[in-house]
Amino acid sequence: MSENLEHSFVTQLKENQNIIHKICRLYTDCEDSHKDLFQEVTIQLWKAFPKFRGDSKFSTWAYRVALNTAITLYRKNKRSLSTVEYEGRQHFIKDVEYNYEEEEQIKLMYKAVYQLNDIEKALVFMYLEDKDYREIAETLGISEVNARVKMNRIKGKLKKILNP
Amino acid sequence: MKELDLLKKDWQKNKDSFDQISEIEIYKMIHKKSSSIVKWILIISILEVMLWTCLSLIFNADDYLEKINNKGFISYLRIFTYLSYGVIVIFIYLFYKNYIRISTIASTKQLMKDILKTRKTVQYYVWYNLAMIVFGLIVGFIIALFYNPETAVLREKIEHDPKIMAITIGILALVTIVLFGLFWLFYRLLYGILLRRLHANYKELKKIDL
Repeated sequence: MSENLEHSFVTQLKENQNIIHKICRLYTDCEDSHKDLFQEVTIQLWKAFPKFRGDSKFSTWAYRVALNTAITLYRKNKRSLSTVEYEGRQHFIKDVEYNYEEEEQIKLMYKAVYQLNDIEKALVFMYLEDKDYREIAETLGISEVNARVKMNRIKGKLKKILNP
Repeated sequence: MKELDLLKKDWQKNKDSFDQISEIEIYKMIHKKSSSIVKWILIISILEVMLWTCLSLIFNADDYLEKINNKGFISYLRIFTYLSYGVIVIFIYLFYKNYIRISTIASTKQLMKDILKTRKTVQYYVWYNLAMIVFGLIVGFIIALFYNPETAVLREKIEHDPKIMAITIGILALVTIVLFGLFWLFYRLLYGILLRRLHANYKELKKIDL
């Protein structure tokens, strides 16, 4: 593949890497797995890049491939998702000034989200990324109505986790 | 949900809280090898096809039949051999077609479906070969029993003693069942480990649309 293509890919990925980091954070539980998944996503993106036409934004295209990699292609080396180290995730909320109560609530919310299954996490991820239901449905391959229903159920599930 | 809105606000604010990966690191990454399950399925599939094609060649009864020198059987067998070459070609074509359809740009559900379909193709090929080997064993047994002059004594014994006949058939059936059982277990383990998560997620996705 030409150097130009490689350069264009690397530049765009570097600019849009946070979206991949966010997915990695959601689907892995330690720094090593995070890096591992990030690398796999990068490889998959690079493989798919020749087919990227540029009719959608790079970030829109990338998050889809990244989600698919995290949910479907990635082989976890460690099976410890249930025992998540929540403390290590505090950097999510550093640098931001919250009042104590809000900060606590956000921490608990993150904790709750990590207890969801892979598919539910994907829905929450897209919800947090402000994707509309049409796009959520299309990305996952489900109907729009059912995506809405599922999201409401997830909200219910999160509420239950927060207030058992 | 109030908490979720709070989370959303936080999620979108924290845009730069990750350690940034440099361009050089990305360059390095794209030249590394993937370790995705699709890659694993491809490797395992190629090994399987090689193994089973070799096995079916080993179990080839040509020499044996030539020794018995039964012309009728040899011509049957020849047709059979060509047929099995045809099956290999068709199988490889189907596998290739399914494999290249796997795309990370497709929807999650479609991607999962395509991966499972590719693996199933290989599974069918394996079952086909296994069935052929068992079939070959049975045919071999029948030929050995009824057409091989060397086994005339044994044949007579079996024909006259239903007990020995029952035992022989019993042993054959047992060998077949154990063979199938072992393979079934092996495949459950191999693909169970590899595809457990994929199966679970696929089920979850299908459940949403029920």
